[in-house]
Amino acid sequence: MTVAFHGVSKIFGDGTVALDDFSLTFESGEFVVLLGPSGSGKTTACRILAGLEQATGGRVEVDGRDVTGLPPRDRNMSMVFQNYALYAHKSVYENIAYPLRVRGTARQDIDDKVRAVARLLQIEELLKRRPRQLSGGQAQRVAVARALVWQPAICLMDEPLSNLDAILRLQTRTEIKRLHAELGTTFVFVTHDQEEAMTLGTRIAVLNEGRLVQFAAPKEIYHHPSTRFVAEFIGRPAMNTLDGRVENGRFLCNGLSLPAPGQGDGPSVLGIRPEHIVLAPGSGAATFPFRLDVLELIEPDMLLFVTHDGLSMTVRGKADAADLKRGVELHLEFPPERLHFFDPESGRRRP
Amino acid sequence: MTRPWRMAALAALIAVLVIALTPYLWLFMTSIKTRIDALADAPVWAFTPTLEHYPKVFLDKGYLPLVFNSLIVASVTTALSLVIGVPAAYAFARYNFVGKEDLFFFFLTTRMAPPISVVVPMFLLFGYVGLIDTRTSLILAHTTFNLSLVVWMMRGFFDDIPREIDEAGQMDGHTRAGVFFRILLPLAAPGIAATAVLCFMLSWNEFLYAFILVAFEGRTLTVGIPGLVTPHGTLWGQVAAVAVVATLPIILFTFLVQRHLVRGLTFGAVKG
Amino acid sequence: MFLTPSVVLLVVLLLGPFIYMVGVSFTDLNYALPGRDGSFLGFDNYRRLMRDDPVFWESFRTTLVFVLGVVSTEFILGFAIALLLFHQMQRRRIVLTLLLIPMMLAPVAVGLMWKLMLQGEFGMLTYYLREIGLIGPQTALLGDHRIVLWTVMATDVWEWTPFVTLVVLAGLLSLPREPFEAAIMDGANRWQVFRDITVPLLRPIIALVLLLRAIDAFKEFDKVFILTGGGPGNTTELLSIYTWRVNFRNWDLGYGATCAFMVYLVVLILCAVFYKAVYWTEGRVQK
Repeated sequence: MTVAFHGVSKIFGDGTVALDDFSLTFESGEFVVLLGPSGSGKTTACRILAGLEQATGGRVEVDGRDVTGLPPRDRNMSMVFQNYALYAHKSVYENIAYPLRVRGTARQDIDDKVRAVARLLQIEELLKRRPRQLSGGQAQRVAVARALVWQPAICLMDEPLSNLDAILRLQTRTEIKRLHAELGTTFVFVTHDQEEAMTLGTRIAVLNEGRLVQFAAPKEIYHHPSTRFVAEFIGRPAMNTLDGRVENGRFLCNGLSLPAPGQGDGPSVLGIRPEHIVLAPGSGAATFPFRLDVLELIEPDMLLFVTHDGLSMTVRGKADAADLKRGVELHLEFPPERLHFFDPESGRRRP
Repeated sequence: MTRPWRMAALAALIAVLVIALTPYLWLFMTSIKTRIDALADAPVWAFTPTLEHYPKVFLDKGYLPLVFNSLIVASVTTALSLVIGVPAAYAFARYNFVGKEDLFFFFLTTRMAPPISVVVPMFLLFGYVGLIDTRTSLILAHTTFNLSLVVWMMRGFFDDIPREIDEAGQMDGHTRAGVFFRILLPLAAPGIAATAVLCFMLSWNEFLYAFILVAFEGRTLTVGIPGLVTPHGTLWGQVAAVAVVATLPIILFTFLVQRHLVRGLTFGAVKG
Repeated sequence: MFLTPSVVLLVVLLLGPFIYMVGVSFTDLNYALPGRDGSFLGFDNYRRLMRDDPVFWESFRTTLVFVLGVVSTEFILGFAIALLLFHQMQRRRIVLTLLLIPMMLAPVAVGLMWKLMLQGEFGMLTYYLREIGLIGPQTALLGDHRIVLWTVMATDVWEWTPFVTLVVLAGLLSLPREPFEAAIMDGANRWQVFRDITVPLLRPIIALVLLLRAIDAFKEFDKVFILTGGGPGNTTELLSIYTWRVNFRNWDLGYGATCAFMVYLVVLILCAVFYKAVYWTEGRVQK
C-alpha cells in the first residue's frame, strides 16, 4: 500500500495558510513521524489524511486511488487523539469494542478481538472500569487499543504522548515502538518533540510554517540536515550555528578561521553539533581559545556553554574528573569533516 | 452537510420561525385594525391601519393606570429582590455552614411553589391586614418567587468568580464587606443586570397573583385583559391593544437577556 | 448577616401562609355560606377530597393528560429544532432569540392571542383549517368538548417548545468535540453517532428539561383560564383552575385550602425528584 500527498494545501476561512504544497509518499509498514513546531501544519496534514479536515488544494491518494473526498469511515484508518477522546459514558470494554460494534461484527468475534488487544496493551484488568476511573497513561492505552482493535491499515496518532508526565511518556514511547514491531501496522505519528521523532520513526517528515522541509530516515536527518532549520531543530542541545563568510576556502567569523573545503566565497552559515567539538588538552595549531560560561552536568556527559569574542557555543563532552570552573580558558578543535555549511538566506545546505 | 439536506433544514427553520411569530403578528395587526376588518369572515391581511383602539382603551376606558401599576410593581419587586437576594447569594457562594444545601433547596421550593397554592392563604392573610388591592401586596407576592430566582442565579455568577480574587482583595487591605461591595459586585454586574431584567419580566408577565390580590385599584396590565373579554362580547381591537402593550417591552428585553436566559431558566444547572 | 433578611422574608411570606393554609384546610371556612367561620373539622375536608369529589379527580386526570401530552410533544419538537439550530452556523443567535418570543410573552396574552385566532366565526386559524379541510365547517376548536383539550395542549406546545430548544441547544453547544471525532474515526455513521454519543452525553440535560417542563405544566393556569376558563363544562379544568374555582368562585375556602395543599404536595414531590436527579447524580452541568 502506498500513501501519497500530492501538493496538498489548506487555507482556513480567516486566511491562515496551514499547509502549502505538501507532497509526501510512504509505504505500508513504515512509522512516519510528522515533526515540527506548533503551527507547522503537522496536525493539519494528519487530519486531512484522516478525513476530518478537507484540503483546499491538492489531493491524497492511497494505492493510486484518490481518497480526498472520502469520509473518514471509508478510509481504513484509525486515530488516537491527544486527549484520548474516550467515551465517558461507556466502560473501557465498550470503548474498545465500539469500532467493531459499529461495523456489525459478531458478538463472539468482538469479545475475542477486544480481549486480544487488551492483552497486547496490558489493560485486561481495566476492561470493566469507566474512563473517569483511569489514570492518564491507562486512558491513553485504551485509546490506542480502540484504534488498533479493528486492524486498520493505518493508525494515526496526534501528539498522543503530550499529555503524559515525563516518565510515562518515555515508557509509552517504548510501548508504541514495540507495537509497531509486533503488528507491522503503518503508523503516522504527529509530534513537536524531536526526541520522540528520532526514536520512533522509520522516516521523519520535518514541517515548518506549513511546508515540508525534509523527509528522510532519522540518521540522514541528523547527519545531513537539508536546511538550517532542520539542523537547529533536531538534536538536544541544538546544533551550533555561526554566521560569517567564506574567503579563499576558509570560514571566517569573529576571529575564528576554519577550513571550508569546497565552499565558494561569500556569506555563509557554519554549523557543528555540540558533541563533535573536541576539547583539546592544551593550545595547539588547530585550536581556538574559549572561555567557560556555564557548566551543566548531565552524567555521564556535561554541557559547556562557552564564549569567544562575542560568540557563544555549546559543547558536549564526557564529564571527567577535571574540575572546571567558570571563567577558565578552554581550547576547542573543530574537525573539518563535522562541519556543515548553509546558505544564509534560504537556509539550504551547501554540499 | 450536503446541499439537499441543507435546503430542507433551512426550509424547516423558516417554517418554524413563521409558526412562532405569526400569531403575535396577528395580534398586533388586530390591535390596529378597524372592527370590521378584525371581525371579517375571511382573514384580512391588507388593510388600512387605525390607531383608534389605543386611546380608547387606555384613556377613555382608563387603562393607563394599569401600565403604571405594572411598571411600579415590577420595578419595586426587582429592586427588593436584588437588595435582599444578592447578599444572600454571596453568602451561599462564599461561606460554608451546616444545612447550607438544604437551605438552598428551600429557596428552590419557593420558586417552584404553585401560585394557586400560595395565593389562597395570602389572600386571607393580606385581607386581615388590609393589604388587599394594594400594590404592596402584589410586590410582596412577586418577591417570593423573584427572591429565589435572584439567589439561584447570582450564586452561580458568584461561584464563577474565583476565590483568589476575594483573597487578593483582602491582601490589598479590604474587609470582607469591602471585598463584596468594591470588588465582587462590579465584577458580577452583568449577572446582576441579567437577573434584574429577568425578575422584571417575570413580574410584568405575572397573572394569577395579580388577578386575586389586586382586583381593582392596583390592577396590572395582565389583569386588564380578562376584564375586556366578557360573555356579552369582546372588544377585540381594544383587548389586543392592551395585550400588545403588555408584551412589547418583553420582546425588547428578550434581546437584552438572551445570553443569560438558559442559566436563569434552568436554575443554574446549565450555563448556556 | 447576609442571609438573614432573605430567609426572614421568605419564611414570613411563604412558610407562614403555607402553614396557615394547612391550618385552614382543617376548617369549614366559607365566604359564601353564612355561619361558616372556620370551625375545626378534623380530617373531614381531606376525606371529602379523597372520596366525595369526583370533579377533583377528573381535574387531576385532565391535568395528567395535559402534562404528559405537552411535555412529550414539546420535547420531541424542541429537540429536533435544537438539532436544526445546532447545525445552522450563521445568524444562529438572532434566529434563536426570535424563536424564544412565544415563551417570553405573558401567558395571559398568549391565551388571548390564541383565543382570537381560534374563534368560530372570524378566527384566522379556524378559517385556514377549514379551507384545507382539516376541520369541518361546524367544528368549534374551543367549544367542542371532544377536541378542546387537544386545542389547549397545542397552544401550550406553541408556547413552550422554544424552552426545550433553548436548553437542549445550550447542552449541545457545551459538548466536547473529541468524542465525536473519535466516533467518526471509529467508523460510526451519523445516526450511530447521534444514538451512541450525542444522546447519552445529553442525558442530564434531557432529564432536567423534562422535569422542569413537567413541573411548570402542572402549575398551568393563565393561558387556559383565558382560553376556555376550564370549559366547556370542565373538560379543560386543570387542577389549578379547579382550585381557583373552589376558592374564589364558590368561596369554599376551607375545602379550597385542602385542594391547594394537594397541588402543592404533588409539585413538591416533582421538585424533590428534580433536585435529586440533576444535582446529586451528575453534578453540575458545566459549559
